[in-house]
Amino acid sequence: MTDFIQVLVLGLLAGGLYALAASGLTLVFGVMNVINVAHGALLVLGAYLTWLFWRRTGADPLLLILVTTPVMFALGWVGYKLFVQRVRGAPAMSVLLTFSLALVIQGILGEIWSNDFRTVITSYSNHSFTIGSIVLPKERVFACAIAIVILGLLWLMLTRTWLGRAIRASAENPQGAALIGIELGSVAALTFAIGVATTGAGGSLISFSSFFPSTHYLWISRLLGIIVLGGMGSLSGAFVGALLMGVAEAMVAKYVPNGLAWVTAVPYMVIFVVLLVRPRGIFGAWTREDVATV
Amino acid sequence: MTGPPLRRIAYGLFVLAATVVLALWPILNHDAYKQNVILLAFLIAVIAVGWNIISGFAGYVSLGQSAFVGIGAYTAGVIAQQHGWQWWYVPLGGAVAAGVAVLLGAVVMRVRGHSFVILTIAFLFIMRLVATNWTSLTSGSNGLSFPLARYPREWQNTPFYYALFVLLVLSVLLAWSVRRTKFGMGLIAIREDENKAGAVGVSTPAYKLLAFAASAIFVGMAGAVYGYYLSYINPDGMFDIVLSVQAVLAVLLGGRATILGPVLGAGLIEFISEAITLEPGDLVLTGTPAGVGVWRDPKVFLKAGDEVSEFLEQRRAHRRSAQAGVLDLRPVGLPATPRVVEGNGAGGRVLVEVKHLEKRFGGVRAVDDLSFSVRQGTITALIGPNGSGKTTAFNLIDGLMRPDSGEVWFDGERIERLRPWRRAHLGLGRTFQITRLFGEMTVLENLVAPLREFRWRQLAADAVAGHEAERAEELLDFVGMHAFAHERAARLSFGQQKLVELAQILMLDPKLILLDEPAGGINPTLIERIAEKIRALNELGKTFVIVEHNIPLVADLCDPVIVLARGTCIASGTAAQIQRDPLVLDAYLGEGWTVEEAVTA
Repeated sequence: MTDFIQVLVLGLLAGGLYALAASGLTLVFGVMNVINVAHGALLVLGAYLTWLFWRRTGADPLLLILVTTPVMFALGWVGYKLFVQRVRGAPAMSVLLTFSLALVIQGILGEIWSNDFRTVITSYSNHSFTIGSIVLPKERVFACAIAIVILGLLWLMLTRTWLGRAIRASAENPQGAALIGIELGSVAALTFAIGVATTGAGGSLISFSSFFPSTHYLWISRLLGIIVLGGMGSLSGAFVGALLMGVAEAMVAKYVPNGLAWVTAVPYMVIFVVLLVRPRGIFGAWTREDVATV
Repeated sequence: MTGPPLRRIAYGLFVLAATVVLALWPILNHDAYKQNVILLAFLIAVIAVGWNIISGFAGYVSLGQSAFVGIGAYTAGVIAQQHGWQWWYVPLGGAVAAGVAVLLGAVVMRVRGHSFVILTIAFLFIMRLVATNWTSLTSGSNGLSFPLARYPREWQNTPFYYALFVLLVLSVLLAWSVRRTKFGMGLIAIREDENKAGAVGVSTPAYKLLAFAASAIFVGMAGAVYGYYLSYINPDGMFDIVLSVQAVLAVLLGGRATILGPVLGAGLIEFISEAITLEPGDLVLTGTPAGVGVWRDPKVFLKAGDEVSEFLEQRRAHRRSAQAGVLDLRPVGLPATPRVVEGNGAGGRVLVEVKHLEKRFGGVRAVDDLSFSVRQGTITALIGPNGSGKTTAFNLIDGLMRPDSGEVWFDGERIERLRPWRRAHLGLGRTFQITRLFGEMTVLENLVAPLREFRWRQLAADAVAGHEAERAEELLDFVGMHAFAHERAARLSFGQQKLVELAQILMLDPKLILLDEPAGGINPTLIERIAEKIRALNELGKTFVIVEHNIPLVADLCDPVIVLARGTCIASGTAAQIQRDPLVLDAYLGEGWTVEEAVTA
């Protein structure tokens, strides 16, 4: 039983971090109907930036969030203006374009920093809190807590500010939003930039565990699984989906024979099952398709 | 596609010359490195040509295409490891790949758009994981070794070169035959508008499953040859998504939905990739042109020769029809009797009967206990306020939606559970409120796309030919759109599209024609022309059900008139009767109006 709770708690801690990583992906999809397949690669890029600053200055990754987030925000803005803007409205092509961006990022990272494993090590690495017989690695607790704080800020931004309302309005009904004076182009660019900015914070938080350029495949499949599970475009869905994904991975690793080999299969299985059984995800609502404007 | 003869001859000669040079290459040149490069280009070309069938023609964009290389290679490798190499492992690898493709197609049948792309990525990675973790069969990440080839060393890789060359030629021939047959026409119809394709009689599942098989079979065979050529395979190398992306990129570079574009593109890609051989650099080089290709033009980057001539031909057609269009604007007299339209016998009996039909969307009952019947030979109108369930009723009758309960009878058969194309084959034709022609097809192609039945042999028939093409041209004459026959449908005005859509469903020779707002959003001259056509067809025995808001037109054209409100039938009778019915006035004008007020107001 203790075993089970231990696995569950570790899964939830991972899930909190996944939720932050998935939030940008689902936000971008919800507003501009673009699946940013480069999101995983941007996350890994965020981790590399953190590692780079950490090695130069020795600063704590949790503090470096304040550096990586604006950097990635700027990158997101430029990326939107240069590339993504042109493929909006062509779903398959946008997947292809962002996938090729992912390959380019992977290639550049490999060229600069080689394909070796990297990890950020802090004073609290390998330290844990213990509650009874449950062990909570400090890094994971901090990462999860900060991820949830950032998600809270993102949520406040979306619900309480004019920009947030503009973003949600353009997600619900672009034409209507344009009619009431929302400049769709700027809102889309901002949304994409905010989506990519989350990979800055997320990247800092994942830098505690080892990563290398092609880790982005692992991340993008996991994040796609999460947003498919939660209903694409839904922020709260992504949050719950992320927790479920974290727990599912932890459970498979622990309880399935040869489980570690199959952990990477979990997201793909989730994607297959959810898209076939309930394509709108567990929290997505069915809407009329015949009157929807394309 | 009747381009200028000279240009076509030049293009044909170029293709022939290129084929001959590639066929003689290993004899003329013994450089092993160059041979290897061309061989890899062949592999990418085979994948690209296959991808083009499912993604270029049918519009289902896949990033899992390279999985079939792995499936073919592992099929051959697993057997070869135990029993030695036999040539028939190659077709076996192709058959297994095609089988898996059909299975995948059947499983993901209802998934489209983003979800489909994601699923294909998931499929590729699941295949890789199976190959990695099924160690008893595949030796997992240790990989498999093929037995050594037993031909003289000085042949170098020539046998593999020719094997892949032949597979490439065969797959191009397959793509070419798909493109020019009913099968390819159906796939393009699916790409343009899958629901519409079903509504005009294309059995979309059969088409899609066949397309999946056709896109995988030669890729599987090439995989078996490629594995034997490498002599050692492992999961990461064989199920490599970068190979998929390279193939997709090849198609985008060469021209999507073209025949030889993918081959040309594959050559370019392999040439570029070989320019830098560093592993990370390779990724940048794959990614960059793919990104640039999509970035420059999401549709097509560089068109292959045959498409250029097609493009020019369309330009000329456009100019021709622009001139013809001026003449065409004159009011049309009595319609020429369309002798290709067959009569449907005497009127009077009930052709359509709808019983207690119900359809809910969440909490909204769009259609709620709807019952009515339509007699043969009538022009029946279905009117009612917005949101009263008229279009939903159409969708339930023609099969775009299935009812939650209730029955639909058509010509003595119960049809509410039949798929749309089955209903089209029974004689049900339907136009849409917002026209849904296949935009990238010409007007003539739009007309020959509908199918009156499903037969396997029909798939291999020429796309535009014979009696059918004649019929199509006569129907275009009938609606006055003949001058636009070779125009792309998307270029027509809305009203013109309505006329073409009417001609299109007449190709089905339907007993019943459902028209959704034939007069909505078009100018009065065209409304008059459409009304004339409806009357002429009705005289030949065609039965119509018309949803329309233009009440004068309804009063002029239709008898009886059925009125819907809140998803149910509240009145029916002649137009004059309906206009005096207090229930109808209530539904249109809201409660609180008395009949007197409404009449005097």
